Formats: sequence, C-alpha cells, structure tokens
Amino acid sequence: MLSRVAESLYWMTRYLERAENTARLINSSTQVLLDLPKGAHFGWDVLISVAGLQDQVKKRGIKLDEASIMRFLIEDEENPSSILSSIQFARENTRTFREVLPMEIWERINGMYLYIRQSAKKATRGRGERYEVLNGVIERRQSIVGLLMGSMSHDIAYQFLKLGRNLERADMTTRIVDVNSAVVLPTDPVLAVPAMERLWMSTLNALSAYQMYRCHVGVHVRAHDVVQFLLKDPHFPRTVHHCLDEIEGCLSVLPSNQEAMRAARHAWRRLDRMNLNGLAPVVLHEYLDQVQADLGAIHDAVSRHYFYLHHTPATASGDNQ
Amino acid sequence: MLYTGKYPVIDMDILSPNYRLNEAYDELIDENRQPRPAAKPLFDYLAGLDASVLEVRRKAVEAAIMTMGISFTVYSDAGNIDRAWPFDIVPRIIPLTEWQRIEAGLKQRLQALNLFINDLYNEQRIVKDGVFPIEVLEGSKNFREQCRGITPRFGVWAHICGTDLVRDKDGTVYVLEDNLRVPSGVSYMLENRQLMKRLFPEMFQSCSILPVDDYPTQLYDALAALSPSDDDRPVIAVLTPGIYNSAYFEHSYLAQQMGAFLVEGSDLMVNDDDVVHMKTISGLRRVDVIYRRIDDDFLDPEAFRPDSTLGVPGLMRAWRNGKVGIANAPGAGVADDKVVYAFVPEIIRYYLKEEPILPNVPSYLCMYEDQRDYVLANLDKLVVKPANESGGYGMLIGPRATQAERDTFAELIRENPRNYMAQPTLDISTAPTLFDERLEPRHLDLRPFVLQSNKLYVTTGGLTRVAMKEGSLVVNSSQGGGSKDTWIVDMEGH
Repeated sequence: MLSRVAESLYWMTRYLERAENTARLINSSTQVLLDLPKGAHFGWDVLISVAGLQDQVKKRGIKLDEASIMRFLIEDEENPSSILSSIQFARENTRTFREVLPMEIWERINGMYLYIRQSAKKATRGRGERYEVLNGVIERRQSIVGLLMGSMSHDIAYQFLKLGRNLERADMTTRIVDVNSAVVLPTDPVLAVPAMERLWMSTLNALSAYQMYRCHVGVHVRAHDVVQFLLKDPHFPRTVHHCLDEIEGCLSVLPSNQEAMRAARHAWRRLDRMNLNGLAPVVLHEYLDQVQADLGAIHDAVSRHYFYLHHTPATASGDNQ
Repeated sequence: MLYTGKYPVIDMDILSPNYRLNEAYDELIDENRQPRPAAKPLFDYLAGLDASVLEVRRKAVEAAIMTMGISFTVYSDAGNIDRAWPFDIVPRIIPLTEWQRIEAGLKQRLQALNLFINDLYNEQRIVKDGVFPIEVLEGSKNFREQCRGITPRFGVWAHICGTDLVRDKDGTVYVLEDNLRVPSGVSYMLENRQLMKRLFPEMFQSCSILPVDDYPTQLYDALAALSPSDDDRPVIAVLTPGIYNSAYFEHSYLAQQMGAFLVEGSDLMVNDDDVVHMKTISGLRRVDVIYRRIDDDFLDPEAFRPDSTLGVPGLMRAWRNGKVGIANAPGAGVADDKVVYAFVPEIIRYYLKEEPILPNVPSYLCMYEDQRDYVLANLDKLVVKPANESGGYGMLIGPRATQAERDTFAELIRENPRNYMAQPTLDISTAPTLFDERLEPRHLDLRPFVLQSNKLYVTTGGLTRVAMKEGSLVVNSSQGGGSKDTWIVDMEGH
C-alpha cells in the first residue's frame, strides 16, 4: 500500500465521519432547543466551540445567530470542516485512489457530493428542511459504510479506512458529550432535573444511542450514566471505548505498529482510570479534552509511521523493504 | 410514429427528410436514405422501441454518467472544471469484414513505426539509405539524445498507440495521425460499452456485436512482458501527473482494471542501485514496469526538464540499465510528429517490404520549397498543422479561417517551415447523433488502440469521437467533442 494512498484513505473516512457527525450534532441540538423549558438558555455558538472553530468564526466575523451558524457549518466552502467541504474533500481524496476501492464506493461518494451540492441551500432555509437534508447526509454516509463492510476485502486499505473512521468518531463523541456543558439550566430544580434528562436524551439521540442505552443501562437518563455509557461501554459502536478497540484491532495488523499501539494503550489506560461518577461539568470538560489529546497522539503516531515516506523527498535513500 | 404519452417523442425516423444528408459519407445511412446493411438491425430495433422506454433509459444513462463520475478536466482561465463525458446514444457501426482489413493495417503501421524508432536511436540506416531526410530528424523536438544506443526489449518503443482514422466522402479510411506519446481515450471506449449495454440490452442479445472488454487484460500482458524480473506477478504501476490532469479518470480506471498501482512521481524513488521503488506503508517496494502517462519532458528531472516536479529523478538511469520497463519508452514520441507522419508509407515499404494497407491523408511538407509554395498559395483550402502539437491545438482550418488568421499562419510557416505540414480538408464522415429529440448528422473519427510488446493487439473498434457542434470537424474532447460506442458487427457469423 502506497503511503500517499494510505493517508488519503484515512482522511477520506475522517472527512465523511466528520460530515455525518456534524449533521447529527446539528439535528440533535435543534431537538434540544425545542425541548428546553422557559428560563433555560442554549446558544448556537456552542456548536462552534464543540467543533473547535471559534478562532475562524471570530476572524471572519461570522454572526452567532442560528442562520449564520448553520450556513457556516453546513455549506460554507471557506470552512474546511463544513459538511459541504468535508464531503468535497472526501470526494477529492477518493479520486486519488479509486483503483483500490470497489467501483460503487466512488459512485456513492460522488452521489453524496452531488446531493449536498444541490441541497445545501435548502438546508439553511429553515429547521424542517434542514432536518430532512441532514438526515439525507447521514443516510448516504451510512450506505457507504455498509457498502464498504459488505463489498470490500478487509485488507490493508480497509484498515486505514477503519482507522480514520474510528479516530474521528471517538473524537466527535467526546465533542458531542461536551455540548451539554455549555447549556445554562434554570435554577429551580423542579424545572432543571427534567430539562437535564431531556438534554442527555438528545445527546444519546445524536449518536443513535438512545435505544441501546435503554436496553443496556436503563430507562432513566442520568448524566453520569450517559457519560459512562458513551465513553466506556465496550459494545456500542460510537463509544470511545469501542472506537479504541477498533483502532487497536486495525493497528495490530499493520506493519511496524509499536509506537501507534503504545499511544492507543495509553489512551486506554487513561480512559479506564477516569472516574465519571458525580463529575462537575468543568471536570468533565477537562476529561474530555484529555481524551481528545490522547486520540491526537494516536493520529500523530500513525502519520509518523505510515504516511511519512510520502512526505520524504525522492532523493533520500531509504531502507529496502 | 405517433406517441401521446407524457414523454417527449424522439424522432428516430432517420429515413424522414428531417435527417439531412450532406456531401459527407454517413456511417449508418446510404445515399438512398436506407440503413447500411450492418446498421439495419439497429434501425429495426429503434423503430420497434417505445419512445417512453427510450427516454427513461436515456435518463438513466445520463444519471449513470454523473454518478460514475466519467469526467474529464478542461483547462481554462476560469480554473479547471470537471465536465461530464458527452455520450451519444446512437452507436457507430462497422462490419467485421471491413474492420479486419483496418486491423491488419494498424498492426502493419505500428510494427513499421517501432522498427523506425529503434533504427533512429541506433544505426539510422533509413537516413543513410536516403529514405528519411536528416533535416527532419535534426528538426525533431521529440528526438531524445538520451536514448541513443538503447534497444528496449523486443525492439519496441511505442507499446501503446492511438491511431486516429477518418473516412472521406468516397468511403476510404485514412490514417490522420499516430499518437505514440501518451494517447488517451481507451477508458471512454470501455465505459461507453457499459453504458450502451444498459441502454439497449436487447441489441446485444440479438446481434453479433463483438466485445471490447479484454483491453485491460491485453494491456496488462503487454506491460508484464516488459518486466525485468522473473516473477510471474510483476509489480506494475501507472504513473500519473495527478488529479488535475485531464485524463486522470482514465489513469485511475486502467490501474483499477489491471490491478496495478496508481502512482504519482512523488510516490517513486530511484536508489543508487538504479532500482525503482514505491514508498509504501511498510517501506520501499520494487517496481518492475511503469506505464507512464507523463510526457518525456517531465519524466525525469535528472535527464530532461530539471524543473519537473511530476517525474522521478533517476528514472532514465533505471530504464537504461534494464532495471525497469517503461511504456511507452522515453523517446518514442519521435515518430509522433506530423512531418514524420508524411513519411510513414515510405517507412512501411522500407522496413517491411510491404505496401501500406491504410493510406495516409495526402500531405504537403512546408520544409520543401515547392510544397510550401503550394501551401501558401492554397491556405484557404488546406488544414495546416504544427508538427508537435496534439489535442487539436494550434491548427488552422483554412476554409473556416479569416484572412487575418491565414496571414498570421503564413508568417508562422515562413519563419519555421519544418514545423508545419498541410493537408486538404477532408469531408469526414458523419453519423446520426441525438440532439433535443432529433437525429442530426455529426462528423466523427475513430481512435483504435494498438498494443505491441511480445505480440500485437488491436482493440475491437476503438473510441469514436464526434464533433457536437453542427458542421464542426473538431472532435477532441478538450475542444468540446463527445463520443459514441463503436460496434464491430459480425454479419456472417449471425
């Protein structure tokens, strides 16, 4: 597998995962907003900080009202993390390695791109249309994941796809959990407790995790249970625990994997040690930052070991095989 | 035919006066407005096809072109744009008996051209024997000093050749040019057939249309035969300039079809031992054969243009020392020159002692005074071509040009006569092409692909390119041309 191709595969799934998760985040935040009691406050700008895009927004002077933020997150081509940009990058990346993927994958990704190109404007028109369009993004992305699972050999190329997907997914899960720390709840506990419950319910919904949570944890949606579930449940495919499992599985079949494996195990140990009971939101926020940093370290190790040759000038003499 | 459904009616009735036959030969319809014998089953089929069915299938094919991303890139000032590949649903049909003669002619031509190239880089017998003028060789932009004294395996330099054919009004098929550098279009030939099978599946059951899809296998075999290693699964790489190249779709398509690696220059490196390696996730891996889709100039900054960032430093060294096979060989472009073209009939007679099976279009070489005078006096009747351009760039179509354009060209010819040749404007053939629910005649050419390595192979038919603008003779995709599926029909075996 060419280093350049491995890197493109990896980024392709990261971009697609990011597009899907951004769509999920927007849809669930819209639900939160509808359910909030009087006296509670939710600022759309929290989505900007969750995505880590505050600097860009400030620099470009983007307004913080719902419409502007939606345009920024969905269709802004200057924002490299917008849904449109992410899908466009994924498509551009796919063009460079069409030969290693089943033919239909390219057709689907191209189809997804054409879809968002055509409907991005519509998505920023109003909440109803937005929901519909973003669901379309999620569906299309899911069909690509399914097709990959069902029609691609689980070869080295597949491992890089899976690696990118799980790193991005784990990262986004921590960010989506973090949204709630930005919600200001009413002081009256009679109002605050059910509001809190609805808030976490929508977090679960954003990750399509509500039903599985009810099956495996219980009917009551309590903050620490949800956080515990989304970070540490080994079986649900969007939890940090599960993603780390997948990442380790991928790494274990790749050559010269020592450093990346070490980084993955480090992330493991830290997650394992985190006591999530009765956390203050500030502490939770800090924990989540740590997880994100650990995921970043895995990414660095992967890129040092597998993508580095691609960035080496052609004149350098390397070792054979 | 009357249809009253909600679908627009496509006027498929070619025999009606709606379809104007002009002076040119029409590939599907004879002078009496009757289908030619090989096209008869198609017209019978279309006459029996419900217009609504056709419309639905046409829409499906259009959608397929979009999602399959069959595209090519057009360079323009407004940035590079990806355009969907214009595909016409009416095929071009050639009877097998006629095709067999063309096929033999194409093989003959490429064989002679390879003997010629090998001779030029070695003894230059043809020059010494006075058959090929030394001035032409000296003025050749594509002759590479760096290739002197090399004889590649099988003595073959041009392994993949795209030969452009046109048919004049009397029905004669002429060779228009030999593309020996990095000819493209074969992927469109393959994709067009896929689209056609979606469009008219019934035709393929009832009619003996010969398949085209063994090209990737044949190409793989031709390339594998160039491998310096004994491994029966050599590592083959398609070397592309990258996604901004207009033929990138094809590079990726062929790599995929052959199970080869698609590499860019930066993916490769040549070590001190002259072996070519690719940079992989587990370190360096040896490459045996490179199917390069990069021009000579950019192939190796050590040997050619030092500013090239697309190529691989040391690649020429590796090739010269037999450590890697390269197709087409560096320097093969010397025979892809419109002045050299004029000598091809002589080249065939000289090396093969045979008469050329396929004729050249009569050509006037501006390097010869008498021919130049004729050209300058008849610019309004001739097509003037620069020796080394491709893709239809830098041409003068005399009858369509303004006086000012002709004057500019006259000046260019006088300044650099070796660089120009002229040909009479042919009335090239047409075929019915669908525009807004009706068929109109459009000019077309044919580019078959010829392979030579340890054996010779010709694609079944080739890529038919069609000028989409009324009356236009320019079929190049970079100039707004489209394409058709090409059917070689076996009428006897049916």
